[in-house]
This record gives sequence, structure tokens and C-alpha cells, in this order.
Amino acid sequence: MSRRKRMLGDLDEDIREHIAMETQDNIEGGMSPEDARYAALRKFGNVTQVKEDTRAVWSMVWLEGLLQDVRYGLRMLYKDPGFTAAAIIALALGIGANTALFSVVNGVLLRPLPYRDPNGLAVISLLNSKTREVFPLCDADFLDWRAQNQSFTAVTAFFHNRFNLTGSGRPEQMFGDMVTADFFSILDVPPVLGRTFLPNEDRRGSPNVAILSYRLWQNRYGSNPNVIGQGIVLNGSTYTVIGVMPPRFLSSPETQLWTNLVIDPPSRRGPYYLTGEGRLKPGVTLDQARAELATIAQRIHQLNPGTNVNMTIRAVPLEEAIVGDVRPALLVLLGAVAFVLLIASANVANMILARASVREREFAIRGALGASRARLAVQLLTESGLLAGLGGIFGLGLAWCGVQLLLDLAPATLPRLEEVGLDGRVLAFTTVISLASGILFGLGPALGGGRNAMNNSLKEGGRSQAQSTRSNRARRVLVVVEVALSLVLLIGGGLMLKSFHRLQNVNPGVDVENALTMQISLPERQYDDSRSIAFYRRLLDKLQTLPAVDSAAVGMALPPNLLDVNDNFMVEGQAETSDRNLGLADLVFVSPDYFRALGVPVVKGRSFNDGDRADAPKVAIINQTLAKRYWPNQNPIGKRLKTGGPERPKNPWMEIVGVVGDVKYSGLDAAPEMVLYEPYEQSAWLSMYLVVRTSSRLGDPGELASAVQNAVWSFDKDVPVAHVRTLEQLLSESVEQPRFRTVLLEIFAFIALSLAAVGIYGVLAYSVTQCRQEIGIRMALGARRSDVFALVVGQGMVLALIGLAIGLAGAFALARFLSSLLYSVRPTDPATFAAVSLLLAAVAFLSCYIPARRAMRVDPMVALRYE
Amino acid sequence: MSTKEQRERIELLQGTLDLLILRTLLLGPAHGHAIAKAIAFNSDEVLQVEQGSLYPALHRLIKRRWISVEEGTSVNNRRAKFYRLTPKGRRQLAVETSKWDELAGAIARILRPAE
Repeated sequence: MSRRKRMLGDLDEDIREHIAMETQDNIEGGMSPEDARYAALRKFGNVTQVKEDTRAVWSMVWLEGLLQDVRYGLRMLYKDPGFTAAAIIALALGIGANTALFSVVNGVLLRPLPYRDPNGLAVISLLNSKTREVFPLCDADFLDWRAQNQSFTAVTAFFHNRFNLTGSGRPEQMFGDMVTADFFSILDVPPVLGRTFLPNEDRRGSPNVAILSYRLWQNRYGSNPNVIGQGIVLNGSTYTVIGVMPPRFLSSPETQLWTNLVIDPPSRRGPYYLTGEGRLKPGVTLDQARAELATIAQRIHQLNPGTNVNMTIRAVPLEEAIVGDVRPALLVLLGAVAFVLLIASANVANMILARASVREREFAIRGALGASRARLAVQLLTESGLLAGLGGIFGLGLAWCGVQLLLDLAPATLPRLEEVGLDGRVLAFTTVISLASGILFGLGPALGGGRNAMNNSLKEGGRSQAQSTRSNRARRVLVVVEVALSLVLLIGGGLMLKSFHRLQNVNPGVDVENALTMQISLPERQYDDSRSIAFYRRLLDKLQTLPAVDSAAVGMALPPNLLDVNDNFMVEGQAETSDRNLGLADLVFVSPDYFRALGVPVVKGRSFNDGDRADAPKVAIINQTLAKRYWPNQNPIGKRLKTGGPERPKNPWMEIVGVVGDVKYSGLDAAPEMVLYEPYEQSAWLSMYLVVRTSSRLGDPGELASAVQNAVWSFDKDVPVAHVRTLEQLLSESVEQPRFRTVLLEIFAFIALSLAAVGIYGVLAYSVTQCRQEIGIRMALGARRSDVFALVVGQGMVLALIGLAIGLAGAFALARFLSSLLYSVRPTDPATFAAVSLLLAAVAFLSCYIPARRAMRVDPMVALRYE
Repeated sequence: MSTKEQRERIELLQGTLDLLILRTLLLGPAHGHAIAKAIAFNSDEVLQVEQGSLYPALHRLIKRRWISVEEGTSVNNRRAKFYRLTPKGRRQLAVETSKWDELAGAIARILRPAE
């Protein structure tokens, strides 16, 4: 290329000089300068044409050569459809799987967040420096942080809230963020319509204002621009709509709107419910900000003894906060899928090598006709490139389907899913991996293929022993590599499967069958404590009368992961020691039948009953974990405890009347937590989960759901019913993410296993064909069929076993990357390692079996006559 | 069919011009204009090719590394490129010359069979 550029660079000048010389000659020959120049030009001919022809000399040759190679390559691929199809399928699978997964990684992890300069954004929360648990902030923490920090240009606090949207249309429950005024100025994204919050709109007395998400604006308001300035009713209060955000502006997939959050100077520290967010000042690093936050945390602790014990303030980049949880899983999957492509490439290299030995004569003839080794290598590389290109194109098609499948399969809780798709970066990725795999599987055969094609093949009538031995060795190495890689994948898949199985078999502490649940929240404005108690009591009474209903109850939390509130508590007569850090319990207000409806066993004492009313003595029920921690060898019945610490002296003591079994409220994989139950009539709460247990098998939940819904609306038509699920669905949804990654890894491992099996089969089948004569001689000399069988199987199994050994070492080294994704399975779980190795060995044996059977049936007479 | 014939004719012409250039350069390096003049002069002005068609041929020979290029000044002190026969080109000239002799001989035998 550079030679071409250099040569063509001063062509214009060369031609000018040429004509000038001719003109000079003509003048010396006696012509007038004008005639001389004219004659010179005429003699030279068409200058433009000459230039074009000269350029063509340089360009056409390589282009024509390439075209010729491509045409020839296509013809070769066309002539061998079996090989071509196999290679393209293997590559398309590898490239497609990689592209599909990369598009997820690209959308979730790589694309910048849709905010201005997202790297300057940090999320602030509390961190218990002893237990490493992360907690939200309380009002006072936020106000202190806002007042004292020097590191941030602006800070905001928000919390995820449930809203009942009523008024025009069906009542609807949705999630929204209540945010302080700086929320939008920190993210710095302009609204598509209207405005965002003004700086003082989080002060006391400011009007209720709301900003809609694009989706809500589209779906509920038909994209009507006149919605700005209208009032909407949220939780019974009227909010004025002031703006609509653009479609890509999403802080969490379910956030539908934002309202202004007013934070009053609080009387106490707690409750803890706020997430902080800030934009770093230019030039301030996150580490500097962290150092300052630590100082602020210490100061808070010193000024407020007894609170925020061991608590420091934690700052993480916003991106980390959003996708940090899913990053390890996605990276592990990306690594796994890269293995699939490597195996596919090894497989194709294997096929090309096998084919190269068949094509030896072709290369020998072309060599004899004058093709250089480099020329033959380029030809082979072109064929590999064609395969890779075709594989890439089909792979892209597969990826397109794969992405749809992934999006269907992906849990709704996976963040930033809406950003997943095939974009320019994904296409670039596909191109690069296609080319890379083309070079990977094409280069070896290309270098080897041209090597001594000319020497022996023609002489030896097409059977060059040296060549075959070398390419056979290369093919064996490739098979070993394939087996090793797929073992690593299979072990990963096995570990995930075992972990997922264990996770699914965790006892949630409830009877999951025949229970329907849903979520109801009463608007604050219309429902004070006594009204909400009355509402739920009447609702439960009515539901009880429905046919097929065994029991109905409401509670503030549902297994396996719907927990809204936890609070600290103190036990009468037991001093709270700060380092014990025990006094934090899940707080669940329930109706009397809650335990019965969920199927939670009452271990000691009694359940709540209708007598536990607002005016009756305060009672509580604890779970077994709490009972064991505080009364290890005593009966807790009759003991007293209360929520809050000394800072809330007005909280009443409650007498423990019962102990119930442990229920998982923070996810199936969570450690046992202490739970404190109170009767809902003594501690009213607006937002409740409803559980309805049927007396017979719960067939179609839809019917029961609408009956319940109608019952709710018969009391108040503005109360929305949301999140209708059977208990089984709730459980299944809670393990969506582990299921997602497990299913994906199993798919990849399965592809890897199939490719490896095909690889082993291919090498053995080829070697049996090649060694027919040898086998024939052996049999003629008296070898039994079983000896031949053992010989061939032995050949294959040696390769498989070497691959297994290498794979085991590799899996041992790589498994630790899985550790954060595994539940109660060690990454080096011996049982999994053994079982998966056996599985792979069995598949390898099967792959050896068919060629071995064929070898066994070789007829010595035919084989000896062969060739 | 006709295009194929045409291409063959052009190739023949090109090949001949290549041969003439190589032969001319056997006497020593020369610039483009000098090569054109030499071909015309040595053929007693019989071969009057358009001088421009020299350039694609020169580049083709450079690309095959049969000739090389160097910067220089012509007799009347103008900047010019000098083309020089490479050893490879010298060998090629021998091959081409004998091919040409064979071809010319064969054509001659056909055209004047009885003599």
C-alpha cells in the first residue's frame, strides 16, 4: 500500500515534466512555443486516461487477486456443503451467543448513564463498618451532610415510594421517587415538557408538584401536552404536574413519577429511609469526598451519643450503585460465552485441518503450477475469512433473536434493560470477534497447509505421511483444548445449577401452595388510623365469606422478599450493648389470621386474635431467631419489649404472647433475621399485603383475584389493588436473577459440550478412515474386533482425559470468580467437579463409540485393496 | 466473446511495450521521456506509441520489481525520475526476449511456409 502511494504520489508532476521535455525538444526542433506544446500534448495522448490507467495498475492487481480468491473460496465452500454448513453453524452459534450477551453487557454496563457527566455522581448511604451492612440515611443524617460537606456542588435525597394515582380513570398504584429539589439539577437532564423542581420546592409550605415519566405521560395521559398545570391526585393529595422527563431518563425501571420531598428538621434520628445522591465538585475525587464523609459521620456520632453506632457514610459511583450487583454475573457470563466461541473456533480449525489433508493434492498441483506458499496461505486465509464472515452474518441474525429471548428471559429487576439492543458498538464487536475467530482458526491451517504441499503429495500419490502426522497432531491438540474449555464451562454450569437448586429448596417458612397475595394501600388523606383499621377489618370479614376462602389476612410484609420496614427495639431488663448490634428486627404488623393464611407455625404461646384491639394491652409475637438470641434457654412468653431505644421513651412496652417459625423476608438466600410482629389494630398501617388462602386447590387465580378486587372496591372505589401474585409466583420471581444466569450458563455449557463432542467425533472418524489400511492389516494379522474397538476408543479417550485434567486445573483456578454468585455451594465443590467430569467423560466415550464401531466393521480384504 | 478477444489483444500490446521498455533500459537508466524517444528512434520511427501509454507500463514493471526508480536531473537540468533495470528485470528480459523470438519465428513460419 505505501509503495503504491509513493509511486502514485508524484505522477502528475512526472507527466508534466514529460510534456515539458517534449515541448522543449519541439522548440529546439524549430516550432513556435505554442505549436510545440500542442504537439507534445497530442503525442502524449489523453492525460486523464493515462493517469487512470496508471492508477489501475496499482489498484486492480490486489483487488482482482482478492476477488479471485473470494470467488474461488466461495466455490470451494459451495462444493463442500457439509463442511461449510457445519463450520458456519458452529461459528454462528459462537458469534451469535457472544453478540447477544455483549449487547446486554453493552446496554447494562458499558453505555454511559443518561445523565450529564455521570462519572461525577455518587450515591450516599450509611455503612455499618463492623458488619458491612448498608443502610439508608435518616432526615437528620441528610441535613447534616448537606450542611457540612465541601466536596459536592449539590446534594439530594430521595426515596422510592408507592403512590395511588386516583381521580380521572382507573385507580392505579405505581412507584415514584420523592426527591428533594436538587435531584434534577444534579442529574442535569432537561425535561421534554415543562420544568423540573425549583430550588425552594423542598421547603416547608411549598406546593405539591409532580413530574411525570415519559412512559406514564404516554400511557395514561396520551402524550397530551396540556397535562402541564393540571392537578393529579396522589395518595389522596392533589399535585400539580409541572414537567415530563425524556424517555431515557429512568432512575429505576418502575419509577413512573417524581414528587417534591419536603424534609423538616427532625426531632429524632430515624427512621432510616433516604438515599443520598450528590454531584462532586470539579477536581474533587471520590476518595477525597469519602474522607470528608467519614469525618462528618464521626462528628454526627459524637454529637448524638447512642445513635449511628459504628456507622460511617458510604459513597459509591452512581453507576456502581445501579449496576454493581449484576456486574459479576454478567462478566462471568461474558467469559463463559467467550469460551463457547473459542471452542467453536477450535472446532472449525479442526475441520479445516481435516479438509486440508484431503486437499493436499489440490495445493500440490497449484504449487507446481507456480503458486507461491504465501499465495496458497492467502487463499486459505480468504476461505477462513469467508467462513468467519458468513458465520458473523448468521451469528448476527441469531444474536437478534437471542437478544429478544434474553429480554424475555431477563428478570425485570435487571437494571437498564431498556438500553439493551443491537447498536453500533455491538456491530463493531461482532465484526471484531468474527475477524478474530477467522484469523484464529484460519492462521494455523494456512501456515501449515502451504508448507510442504509441493514436496511429497504428488510423488506419493496423495498420501504424504509427514504432512498428515503433523496435522493430526495439531488436531489432537485442538480436541484436548476443546475438552478442557468445555469442562471449565460445564463445571461452572454445574456449580450454578447446584446453587440454584439449593436456593429453590430453601424453606421460606410458609406454605406456598394455594395462597393468593396482592397489595393494597390506602390514601393517607382519607384514612387515619381508626379508619384504616376499620377498612381492613371489614374487608377481611367480607373476604372470609367468599366461597373457597379458607382464611384471609393482611400484613406489612410478605415472604420471600417483600419487607418494608425494620426498626430497632429494646428488651426489658436487658441492656443494649452497642457492639452486640442485635436490636434490629423486621417489623411486621399483621391481622390475626396472618400466620394461618401464610401457613406459619405457632411454636409457643398463641397467635393474635380479635381481642388484640387498639384499647387492649399491647402484645407482640416474635420469631424463633429473635427468641433464641435474647432468651437462649428461657421461655420468652410473658417477657416485654418495645420498638425504638431510649430516644423514644413514649413507645409502649409490649408483652410477648407467642413465638412463630422463621419466615424469609429478605430473600431466600438471606441469613435468618429477627422478626417482631404486632397486631395491626394496635399499630395501624396504610399499605398492606393481602393473603388469601383457599380451602381447595387454587386453580385459576384470576377469578379469585377479581372477586377480591371487587370486594375492595365495594368499600372504596379509589383504592387500587396491585401486584397480584400467588405465593408461588412471588417465590419464583424472587429467584429470577439467579435463574437467569443459571439458565444462560447451562445453555452455554450445553453448546460447549456439543461442540466438544463433535470435535472428538470428527478427529476419530477421520483417523479411522485414514487408518483403514492399518486396521485391515492388524485384523488380517489376527487382531480381534474388540482389540480394534479398544484401540480407537483408547485413542479418543486419551485425548479426552488429557483435556479433562487440564480442564479440572482450569476450573479450579477460575471457579473463584463464581463465588459471589453461588448460594451455599463452594466454588470448588468436589461433588460437582467429579460429577461433571464423569458426564464429560461419558459424552467423550459416546463420541468415540461410533467411529470405533465403524473401525470394528472394517473388512480386512476391502481395506487392503483400498487404494 | 468479443470482450475476451479485446482483452487478449490489449495484453499482447502491453506485453510488447513492457519488453521494449526493458530492452531500452538494458543500456542504462533513463527517464520516461528518454525511453519514449529511444523506442521511437531505435525502431526508425516505426513504432509511434502514444507516449502516455508508457506510464501504466512503467508502473506495472515497478510493481513487479523488474525496474526500480530513483530521483535525478535530466541532461538539461530538469528534475526527473530515472528508471533502472533490476536483476530480476534483467532475467525477465531474457525470458521475454526468447518468448518473443519463438513467437515471431512461429508467426513467420506460418506467414511464409514455403521458404
